[in-house]
Amino acid sequence: MDMASFTADWLHCDQLSNYVARMVSHDRRDPVRHSNLLSSALNELLEMSFRSEANDGEFVCNFYRCQETERIELIFPCPTEQRQFYRKIVLGLKNRRAVINYCNLITNDAASDGQAILLGLVVNYDAEIQIRDLGIGTLAFIVDLPLERLLN
Amino acid sequence: MTAQSPSPVFTAQFNINDQEFSLAGVLRPHSTAEIADDLLLLRNGIETVSGVLYVNLKRVTHMNSTAFRALTRVLVDASRLRPEIKFVVVASSVVAWAARMFRHLSDLSPNIALEIYDSAFYPGQTFVENKSFIPILRTQTKMTWRHEREILPRHGLRNGMVIADICCGIGDFAMLVRKEFGPARIVALDHSSPSLDYARDVAERFDVRDIEYTYGDASQMLFESDQFDFVTCRHSLQIFDRPELLLRELYRICKPGGRVYITNEKNSHCLGEPRADSIQWTYNEVAKLFSHFDMDVEMGPKSLRLLLDAGFEAVKMESFMVTNLDGDPQEFADVIAAWRDVYAGEMSVRRGDSAEFIERFKQGFADHIFAALHPKGYAGWPIWAASGRKPL
Repeated sequence: MDMASFTADWLHCDQLSNYVARMVSHDRRDPVRHSNLLSSALNELLEMSFRSEANDGEFVCNFYRCQETERIELIFPCPTEQRQFYRKIVLGLKNRRAVINYCNLITNDAASDGQAILLGLVVNYDAEIQIRDLGIGTLAFIVDLPLERLLN
Repeated sequence: MTAQSPSPVFTAQFNINDQEFSLAGVLRPHSTAEIADDLLLLRNGIETVSGVLYVNLKRVTHMNSTAFRALTRVLVDASRLRPEIKFVVVASSVVAWAARMFRHLSDLSPNIALEIYDSAFYPGQTFVENKSFIPILRTQTKMTWRHEREILPRHGLRNGMVIADICCGIGDFAMLVRKEFGPARIVALDHSSPSLDYARDVAERFDVRDIEYTYGDASQMLFESDQFDFVTCRHSLQIFDRPELLLRELYRICKPGGRVYITNEKNSHCLGEPRADSIQWTYNEVAKLFSHFDMDVEMGPKSLRLLLDAGFEAVKMESFMVTNLDGDPQEFADVIAAWRDVYAGEMSVRRGDSAEFIERFKQGFADHIFAALHPKGYAGWPIWAASGRKPL
């Protein structure tokens, strides 16, 4: 969809995450709980893209599934500085001190939303996050979420 | 500039008597400013409490990072400023993200604890979670189904409906409804993981893929409102200490114009011939025993009032008697034997009953079995079925 359409209303994050989560969870072991958990994770990513402050271009959200893992591929326009900022955060995610860093971050007013969201996904959802700079002002997040494992 | 709609609906309340701050609904604010009043309510509440402050999040279905961080900061700051207070965050085991996010709070402050609200809420749960009870639940459903398949259409169940079976147990009823009434969609919810595992195994063995089994709390379901044409909740309101809370949820998820169907017993009306007096005495005692554990197995005839009080209209009610004359009398006898083992066994012992009492208590069940298996005997188990329509 157009990024401008997506960012026209904050509620789109909530609505889209619930709709998409319900749609892709229907044949999971426990569709309702799966959908609730997926919606929570997806909403965080949508909110992060919402805050990218770029209104031109396309916003793309792809889903893939492999056994117990859901893959969300989120592509959205993103200014250069922000792309570098996100790249730096993602590089720092594979830190052994992730939980300690997250605990420091959630009580720190100065910490950015993006940092809290991405580290939160790693710590709370066991997410694996990759980032791809597609050039031409566009960024792709590839987020693997082992949700079935988290539900059991 | 972008237009900013308000965030999805949520409520915040502070109850001074319970020293409890509770949030409910969906907390996905765009900024902390949107929930500033609610955080202020919490801060002000903290000023007034002593001992323990409960932060009840059981009814929060979603919370974004913005709200989580804001709430965390208030709690962590307060726990440092008022170290004499213990903060207990209560989350539901059903809402997986909440348990995973809020576990960190106790790392941030030793005064903050996370409590996972679980099956303790269902007083009767532990008695029926025992795997040995599963064959009996199957037999019970088989025996009641002979009647209910005729009864359900009178209460509005039709082919092609969207159905929810709440407190589905081991899932047999959902399986039978699916086969008989071909629903467009059927969801079966229970708060017992072993029962759901069993239900899923059976479904897999029978290659049934269209029943959505879900682990959930019947008093706070993750289902959206106004979703189902027909909602069933069988034999469960009676083993819950706050049936009105459950009915409110059944009402909420039912579509306007749809119906909620409930069944309940009145155990003191179980009967048999011969040895009627002994049987009668024992089942009167069953009712008292359940009452001791905050369960009301005399609920059956109260269904009309319960449904009307919950806001339903066009309430229909009828009763039926499952007897030893329906099919194989041994099945009836097996069910009574299972009741004896649980009621005169685990439950009676836990209440602290004397050996003499338990002996007499067991005798009534033995006499009921005798009546069921006697070639000229009669044994009955009465059930009340009722349904109400949610107003349009």
